[in-house]
Formats: sequence, structure tokens, C-alpha cells
Amino acid sequence: MATKTKAGPTKYEISINGKTATVVEDTYLLKAVMDAGFNVPTLCHHKDLTPDGTCRLCLCEVETNGKKKLVTACNYPVRSEIKVKTNTEEIKKHRKSLAEMYLGRWPNVETIQNIAKLCGATDKEKYKSDITDENPKACILCGHCVRACSSFMIQDILGFAGRGIKRHLTMPFGDVDPHCVGCTSCGYVCPTGAIQITDEMNNPVDPELIRRHGMKVNAEMATLDKMQNRMREVGTANIVEVMDAYDLLPVHNFKFGKHPDTHKIDSKVMTRDYFTQGAADACWLGCSMACAKAVDGFELKTGPYKGEKVVVDGPEYETAAGGSNMGGFDLDFIVEYNFYCDTYGIDTISFATTIAFVMEAFEAGIITEEHTGGKKLNFGAMDEALECLHEMARGEGFGVEVGQGVRRLKEKWVKELGADPEFLNDIGMEVKGLEFSEYVSKESLAQQAGYAMAIKGPQHDEAWLIFIDMVNNQIPSFDDKAEALYYFPLFRIWFGLLGLCKIVWNDVAPADNSKYPPQEAAKIPEHVENYWKFFEGMTGIPVDEDKMLLQAERVFNLQRLMSYYFGRGTREDDMPPLRAIGPATVEEYLSREERYDKQMKEEIGIDPEGKSAEEKLAITRDHRFKQYNKVIDAAYKRRGWDENGVPTVERLKQIGIDIPEVMALLERPDQ
Amino acid sequence: MIEVNNKEKLDWFEGMTVQDVLDKMGYIYPRITVSVNDQLVNKEDYATYKVPDNARVNVFHLAHGG
Repeated sequence: MATKTKAGPTKYEISINGKTATVVEDTYLLKAVMDAGFNVPTLCHHKDLTPDGTCRLCLCEVETNGKKKLVTACNYPVRSEIKVKTNTEEIKKHRKSLAEMYLGRWPNVETIQNIAKLCGATDKEKYKSDITDENPKACILCGHCVRACSSFMIQDILGFAGRGIKRHLTMPFGDVDPHCVGCTSCGYVCPTGAIQITDEMNNPVDPELIRRHGMKVNAEMATLDKMQNRMREVGTANIVEVMDAYDLLPVHNFKFGKHPDTHKIDSKVMTRDYFTQGAADACWLGCSMACAKAVDGFELKTGPYKGEKVVVDGPEYETAAGGSNMGGFDLDFIVEYNFYCDTYGIDTISFATTIAFVMEAFEAGIITEEHTGGKKLNFGAMDEALECLHEMARGEGFGVEVGQGVRRLKEKWVKELGADPEFLNDIGMEVKGLEFSEYVSKESLAQQAGYAMAIKGPQHDEAWLIFIDMVNNQIPSFDDKAEALYYFPLFRIWFGLLGLCKIVWNDVAPADNSKYPPQEAAKIPEHVENYWKFFEGMTGIPVDEDKMLLQAERVFNLQRLMSYYFGRGTREDDMPPLRAIGPATVEEYLSREERYDKQMKEEIGIDPEGKSAEEKLAITRDHRFKQYNKVIDAAYKRRGWDENGVPTVERLKQIGIDIPEVMALLERPDQ
Repeated sequence: MIEVNNKEKLDWFEGMTVQDVLDKMGYIYPRITVSVNDQLVNKEDYATYKVPDNARVNVFHLAHGG
């Protein structure tokens, strides 16, 4: 009986050799048959590749409304209540004939011999002919390599040419295609050994080990990505609408986490109206994740290239979210500022966060048109924001000031305009002089600390902990948060040391990752192991969690000490602006009043009833800074740093970097 | 009343499904794992799996990378 529900998939009860099975609509019959415990021979089928149906060995009988037909089970999607038989006399006869033909052509290939045995074909002579290939490693034209090239790598380097008995595997025009990057996916999936990898370009110690683990990532991208983060389709911008739904998308200088116009800049619009390229073209050809996207033929409306049609690399999530942060809910604007930032060599995140700060200062009356060169820089003033960008590049006007970034703007406005330093420090989203990247961290203590403690400044490449902390609530205590602030920054630094991309760590996950308990699942253990094996395969040195953390911790502490030596890298440098840890204005408080009142009552133990918004804001501010200080206390302790955030001698000894050159960094010249 | 991720409380109603919980919480991220009273629920069953009253529902979101 078919079961259809409002939001769920349709399921069918089907009969397989008399056994009833419940199958989700569009499941391929071969999977349903195998899941039900029946074995069906296959040759062209591969678990990680799209089905092809060419070898015909998986033939099954399907009966619908009394009508019977033979279908190839590997590419037959279940879409009705059917009766299936996998091994009738007719099927056995077909399979045997096919297997005899395969055996006649490739009598010494082990894969063929196994299939023949399974199908009861023993006569090697029956179909022996001029095209019989005695090579035990002959190509059997299964097509695995062609499909791997296409689905793993999004390339079509390999293909078939010729028809009938002349069909053969080739590269275009029978020549070696210079676009082949030597990813070796074809060799990995070849069942006979016809494709051998002979050139190991980087001389790894154990190329097979690297390949085994690399191919797992390729296979996950080919089979799982479309149901997970859609990195190939839309790249990192897939989370624009997700962040909005979780109140985490920065809007108007991080005041808010969502906006009714987000649908104008979400990944659906990008995919539908903007992205024209999605090939593996960005970091390097051969990356199976292929998350970089491009917009072709984009006509610029401003600046030195006005009227010209250009190719724009992006936008990525942070660039799109920079748009919402400036109140620019228009993808034409986002793509344009993306292009000009790239062209001028300006970081889109710093630009957007600085402009968002300028806009808030303008709306608060701290600066006026007199200071901005006549530009009305309210939130959403997209033309004016772009003009600031062009001025910045030309070295003219107000844009030059904007180009100094949030920290210097704060200092300048306090000094020259007599602006309130507390207000500017509360809303100026920078730490260590670097502008915040585009996530609202107010409701996640671990994310706040991950941002503000990061050595380079508030960038989430050390720790992105919003989901496991705020949403999953799996690190509720300060010690739990400290542990996450120990492990994840070290792990992420470790891939940086190796020059490996972190996106293939966690923007796709193995289908069975949920078998681990949540604390472990968050690390994606199988993917961490991939990285260890890449390291071992390249260097010959086995690595495990302890060794990985030690390697990273040495560098992490050295970086922190260098920062300390040069006058940064202490507690005061790890302090975030109020807006990063909670509401900074009455307007913000009132926008989420119910949430903040509830927290005041349940977490702080103060009844908000009868208190003014200003009083409640002050109480929340005080509480949030106390909480923040507690979390960094716990994190410092876990990292082996003192209460000022400086690595202790004891810790340096433990991790084996207490050499004179490193110890000298503890002697700060300014103290 | 049910509890989501040991934190959020939701009013329970007769026939409440996992999908109802996800909709109420606004959980639209695709890479989640759901358990109800420690029982894992498959994605294809979200719309039909009934959540009992007083259930502990855990919706584990995998981190996004960036």
C-alpha cells in the first residue's frame, strides 16, 4: 500500500520473491533487492557511481497490474507497488547467455570469471572470436572510469568511442588530454586493473593510502552532497537562508539575525539567476567538492568598468551575508561589490563589516553628510556604499577613511568628533583590529570566544561552534566549551599547517556519521581519519589525535607568543565588542525582548517585570560580559595559558617548545 | 510538553511528528540527526514518526565549515 504524507516521501510496499519490503519512492530496485537480502549479479554497477544499466546482468522481472517485464534493477526507480522476481528461469537463461559472451571475450579477467561462475557459465569457447582478449587485466568496457571522471571530478576526460565490437575507452581524439589532472579516480574504480597509475607526481610514501581515503571524499561528493550542503550546486552560499532561519544572519551591523528580504539574496536566487559556472575551477582543477561559483556576463553599473560585462568569482556566503549586514538585499549590488573588492584587492568581509558600522554611525548621528562627502549612508544605501569602495581604491574622499577599518574609525571619531567611545566600542565589530566575519554570535558563548580569541582576529577559521553550542546545546558547561575551544582550533590549525582545505572535512559527511554519539559525531571522525591518512601517506609518519593536537599546539602557542611579544595576545586583546556577545542598544533588546526577558529570569535570576528597557539592557550587558570572562578563563586554563592569556612555561615544557628562542618571546620589549 | 536539545520546551499535541517539531523550531538545515527518547529516526520517517508526550527530542546539527 502506498503511503503519502504531507511533508514526507511516498513509500511503497513491494513484494520481492514473495517477501514484503517497504521502499521509499525512487529507490533503485537493485538497492531494494539487496536490502531485502537477495543477491543479484552486477558488473557495471558501483556503489559510488550513478547507475548505467549497460551490463544487463541485474535483470529482474517486475510485475505491475498483472503485466510482467524485465528491467535492469540498478537504474529502475520504484514508483509503484510492484511484484519483483530476481531469479526466474527466464532471467537465469538471460544472465547465463550474457556471462558466456563476456567470458568468450575476456576469458582471463578475474571479475568476468567470478560473474560467469555466479551465472552458471562455464564454456569459454562458445563465444570465442577474433576480438577475444586473453589479457587478464583487459578493459571490459564497464564504464566505471568514465562515470567516475564525470561524477567524482565533474570532468569528461575519459569516454567511449566506436560502436559495437569497435567500442573502446579513450580520451578526446585518442590523445592524452592535458586537462586530466591525474586524480586517479579512474584507476581506483577500475575492476580489472586495466587502468594502472604509473606516475606519482608528488612522490608520496604510500600513494594507495592517500588514494583510498581521497576516493571516499570523492564518492561522498558524488552521492551525498546533493542531499547535504549542495556545495557543488551553490557553494558556501547554501547557508544564507539557513542562517536567516536560525537568527544568525548579520543584518544592519549585526543588530539582528534575520530579515524579511533575505529571500532576495538566498541560494535559490543565486542558482536561478546568477551562477553560470560551477565546475571544479577555483582552488585547483581536480577538487571534487568544486564549491567555487562564478557569474558570467555580469554588467557593471558603477566604477571604472561601468557598462562592461565581466566574470565574477562568487559570491560566497560571507560576501552575501555582508550584503545583508549593510542592508543591501539585492544580488546585483552584492555581485558588484564582490567584483570590485576582488578587482581592487579588498577583503569583502572587512569592507562589508566596516560599511555596516559606518551606516550605523551615520544613522546614530555620529557622522553626517558633512563627513561622508555628501553621501547619505543609511542602511541599504547601496550606491553610496559602492561609491565608498571606489573612493577607497582611488585614494579619495571619505572612502579613504572607511578603508582604515573599524578600529581606526572609532579612534578618529572619538578624537576628532567627540563621539561616545563606549557606544562605538559596543557596536564596532572588530577585535585585534580585524573586522568580524559574517555570523551573529550573540547566543553562543563558545562562538564568541572562538571569534575573539582567534589569533588573527574574529574569524571563524579557528572555531565555528554556533550549532554545537547554541542549537545542539551539546557543550553546556564552561568546561565543555573550553574543551571545544581547545580541540577545534587545534584541529583547524592543523589542516592549515598541512595546506589542506577544511571544507572537505565538514561540508559533507559520511552517510553513517550519526552512528557516533553527538560529541564525537561533531568531529566527523571518519573525515579526521582521512586527514591523518593523507599525512601518513605523504610522509610515512603515522599520526593520531594526540600527535595531531601536539603538532598544532606547538604552532598555536608559538603564534600566541609572537603576538604577545609584539604587544598583543593578552586578555584585553581577546575582548569582544558588546554586540558580539549580546544586544548593544535598546532597539536590539526590544527586537528580541521575549528571549532576553526569559534569559534574565531563568539564567540571571532577576525578574524583568517593571524594569525599563535601559535597565534590562544594562543588566544583560553586565551578565554577558561576566559569562564571557568565565568562558575565556576556562579556555585559557584548558590551553595551559595564564589568566592573562599568555602560555605558561609549564605548558611550553609539556609540548616541547621550551627552547631559548621561544622562551625569549615571553620577555616583552614593552614591559 | 516535550523538550528539544535539553533546552527548548514545546507544547505537545496529539499526533505530533518529528517534522512538526522541526517546523516549530525552524530547523531547516539539511545535515541533522534526530533522536526521540534516544531512538534514531530516519529522515524518510520524519513526517510519520510520532513524538510521544514528555519526549526528549535531540536534533543534532553538524557544523558547517567555511
